[in-house]
Amino acid sequence: MVLNKKWAALCLAAVMMIVLLGACGSNSNSNNGGATEAPSTNATEDPSTNATEEPSTGSSETKLTGDFEIQYFVGGYGDKWWKKVIADFAAANPELNIKESAGPKINEQNKPRWIGGNPPDFVYIDGPNLNDRQMVEDGQLEDLTDWLKDANNIDGDKILDALAQQPQQYDGKIYNIPLVLNSWGIFWDKALFKEKGYAEPTDFQSFLEVSEKIKADGITPYIHTGKYPYYINGSILYPAIVSNNNDDYTILQDMAANKIEAYQSPAVLAALNQIAEMRDKGLIDKAAIQINHTDSQMMFLQHKDAFISNGLWLPNEMAKDVPEGFDFGFIPSLTQKPGGKVVANTSTATVAIAKNAKNKEAAKAFLQFVFSKAQASQWAELSGAPSNIKGDISSSNAPSFVKDAAKYLTDPNTVVIPTITFNADVDTEMQNATDALTIGKITPDEWVKRVTDVVAKVK
Amino acid sequence: MKSVSEKLQRNLFIATFIVPTLVFFFIFTIYPVMQALYYSMFDWSGMSDTKDFIGFDNFTNMFKDPIVLRAIGNDYLLVAGKIVGIMVLATFFAVALTRFNFKLAGFFRSIFFIPNVISVVVIGVLWNFIYNPQIGFLNAFLSLFTEEKVTIAWLGFTSHTIYMLLPPAIWAGIGFYMILLIAAIQNIPESYYEAAQLEGASQWKQFRNITVPLIWEQMKVSIINIMMTTLNGSFVIVWIMTEGGPDNSTHVMGSYLYQMAFRQYHFGYAAAIGVLILVLSLITTVILQRLLRHESVELS
Repeated sequence: MVLNKKWAALCLAAVMMIVLLGACGSNSNSNNGGATEAPSTNATEDPSTNATEEPSTGSSETKLTGDFEIQYFVGGYGDKWWKKVIADFAAANPELNIKESAGPKINEQNKPRWIGGNPPDFVYIDGPNLNDRQMVEDGQLEDLTDWLKDANNIDGDKILDALAQQPQQYDGKIYNIPLVLNSWGIFWDKALFKEKGYAEPTDFQSFLEVSEKIKADGITPYIHTGKYPYYINGSILYPAIVSNNNDDYTILQDMAANKIEAYQSPAVLAALNQIAEMRDKGLIDKAAIQINHTDSQMMFLQHKDAFISNGLWLPNEMAKDVPEGFDFGFIPSLTQKPGGKVVANTSTATVAIAKNAKNKEAAKAFLQFVFSKAQASQWAELSGAPSNIKGDISSSNAPSFVKDAAKYLTDPNTVVIPTITFNADVDTEMQNATDALTIGKITPDEWVKRVTDVVAKVK
Repeated sequence: MKSVSEKLQRNLFIATFIVPTLVFFFIFTIYPVMQALYYSMFDWSGMSDTKDFIGFDNFTNMFKDPIVLRAIGNDYLLVAGKIVGIMVLATFFAVALTRFNFKLAGFFRSIFFIPNVISVVVIGVLWNFIYNPQIGFLNAFLSLFTEEKVTIAWLGFTSHTIYMLLPPAIWAGIGFYMILLIAAIQNIPESYYEAAQLEGASQWKQFRNITVPLIWEQMKVSIINIMMTTLNGSFVIVWIMTEGGPDNSTHVMGSYLYQMAFRQYHFGYAAAIGVLILVLSLITTVILQRLLRHESVELS
């Protein structure tokens, strides 16, 4: 009996120890693995790719080999286009082993690899937890300035010429290229407007006038998504700043470059005053401040509100909930003076190559492949959004509102604001301050003060 | 000789239980805390492969940041509100369901416990609907008593929205502590109450002089547990319901940490906030434990 107990205790002890050692072992293994892997790839692969790359770019017809990894976020635009374009690219490069890292959580999942210096080669920057400006500041993205200067796509056209909107520049350098070209703006229901005899607004004056009528009928004129104030900033504030700056959008680029004078410009104050006027006239739904996009969109679809700030993805996003007979009317901006130009604030998602990519050659070839004419209509068809590649999509199977949007964005009478990403701190402060402005907690002057304080700190 | 080997065996036996726990504790608790301390000394975006050592700058900046101070205030407001709200209601329900024998006690016990089974995320979404200004239950209910339709944006005032988070938090917490107190009350020998009854003590007197002193240990544990889970976990309800808005007015330390780390890319600063949460939790636990110990001595 005693012996048995002894043995039992010993066995138990042994098992526990083994389990423990096992756990430790695998843990330290993976640690070591991570630790050795990162430097080794940096040390050995970088020179090798550089070495092979130089001659290969000279002779454009070399076969792509090795591994090539693409990271793409799957969100509102889906992954149909990615699957298609990757399959096409794979067919064109049979010796290239293409890996896909994709999904709605991929930005978080791959984060440790970006930190560890072992990122995928090619990245589509969209969705939460991935910010292009931050990635540039962190030195995660490959500088494409020189390469893009004379890089052609597979059709033989210059990539830069094929783009509807030019890439954002960071201190004169280009790191990422816009792939999607969407637009912020204001929606209404054409059917409701027809039924009630409201005039569709074309500028701020007509917007205010029709809003008074709408209000008199017991409908709240305007709703935005207060929980995510970038909706109102994107579709009201930024276009208004540009309109008030004589349609010159460089002011927004100056703001993004953290120039304090830009924030203190009269154009900014005038734009803020327009929001304050909407607030003071009681046009903004009081519920807006606390609700998220789904709620605000539902209220808009239920005709509780006549206008909504949103992006062109709205019809697609709410497709299942759109009541019968609902007819989306859209204008990119409402804050221009009568007769003034419409200002379209684009909302884009970009693509880039990782600085620590192992197969930069393939990544560049993929860029040349993606920014070709064939992909313009293919993207519009498969993702339900206009692409940033110039090309006539009117004959494609793209949804009609996408075609309409594309028309707006290529119209010479539209001022199109190119991709601009603000510093995350400044952006957050602008959002919070706009929220505070819409509920009357602060004045436009205080908005400027608050935001410039943050800009000064960030600088 | 034999005694030495027996002692060794005994120690070995104890070690087999303690060592693994200790090791896991080190890996999953001590190591991450050390890491957080380490990262709090850096200016790091959370994405970059380079970090800048800045010493205690994150901490000095933290105490100059009005949002951090507000978040601390909000945290303690939730702690105080939840302790009072949950303890009063949970004790009330526990006493009601045990001391006053009535048929549906079991049924009510289940009903009150249900919110505990629901995920906090669902509770947050649910209460968001209750507070919704246009289609929400609360405004619809209030509208019954007014001529005009009530359209209060309950979560839209920067001055008091944080108070609106108390009801869901309390509602979600009652069940568990109620069960805890029910178990404690059921352990009190019935004869005490019988004796009190014979002596002519009222229900209130019985509650005050028998129930409370005898379940004080459980109440103490409950209070400390509410405090700790609130300081560490109120992030969820805040993030689901307001994301710290409007205009940063409802941030708690946890939500501001998240905002800083993953929305504004200041991972080092966020780690410093994490350290602050740890320190404040520890201090509060110690203080609360002292206060409550004092109380229990007085009572017994």
